[in-house]
Amino acid sequence: MDAQQAVADTAPHEASEDAVESRRDGANRFTLGPGDSLEGKLTYAGSITVQGRAEGELHIGGNVDVASGATVKASIDGASVTVRGEVEGPLTARDKLLLGKSGRLSGDITVKRLQIEDGASLNGHVRMGSFEQSSGG
Amino acid sequence: MSSLRAARPQEPDQAAAATSSVTLGPRDRLIGQLYIEGDLRVSGTVEGEVEATGNVDVAEGATVKATVSGREVGISGQVNGAVTASKKLVVSRSGSLTGDVRVSSLVIQDGATFNGNVSMTRTGQHAPKPAPVEPAAVAEPVVVAKAAGTNGPSADKSKPKRR
Repeated sequence: MDAQQAVADTAPHEASEDAVESRRDGANRFTLGPGDSLEGKLTYAGSITVQGRAEGELHIGGNVDVASGATVKASIDGASVTVRGEVEGPLTARDKLLLGKSGRLSGDITVKRLQIEDGASLNGHVRMGSFEQSSGG
Repeated sequence: MSSLRAARPQEPDQAAAATSSVTLGPRDRLIGQLYIEGDLRVSGTVEGEVEATGNVDVAEGATVKATVSGREVGISGQVNGAVTASKKLVVSRSGSLTGDVRVSSLVIQDGATFNGNVSMTRTGQHAPKPAPVEPAAVAEPVVVAKAAGTNGPSADKSKPKRR
């Protein structure tokens, strides 16, 4: 890993943007632990796991994982979103939203694909289909 | 499912208890209102209003442009209209649903298409944490009573301290 990073640092011309991005997606993971909380606006290229509390706006380039026991009152957009905790706010999943059986979601959602497990709770409007990806995201 | 149930005469009680099972085949068509005391399976075309006291199953290939209500509603075909399921709504991977839904439990399989508003009524069975609403419910009538008292001050004057 270190060697690869060193190579990437010393030879930035050779590293293609795709490689850097894919590595970022794989490596960069923001985990908000059970006792952690976030208030405000977060724009993050990697993936995020929320086990604690988050409030505000989450603009996530990678995946969003709201764990069981987590509380999120925020507008969320991410590539693939998994909700097993409690979420309140509008949600956009550019790829897929999975609402697990312990998940509770209230808010309008825009998704490309949707899966809801038995026992989950959902209140809001669902808009689904191939929507144009907002590249600014 | 229904064929299995029909093949087994092990549940004569339920069958005798006025629960009919109606199947609309792939070439059948209904335009209007339908009320069934029992289960309904649709493989054809339905337009209008459909209500069943039992389960409603919209099979793959079926086209339904109707409000649908039943206990358990399963959608594998195309449905355009509001859906009410007193127990559960399942949209399977081949299913497509456009319309507002009122359900107590909702399952959407990966690959299904759904557009509409979801309003989910929490039933006691599913709620993991029953919300402690009792204090608020007790507090409200007190406020109402005070308000009623202020609305009619003459009543207070006429009966000052007789109690």
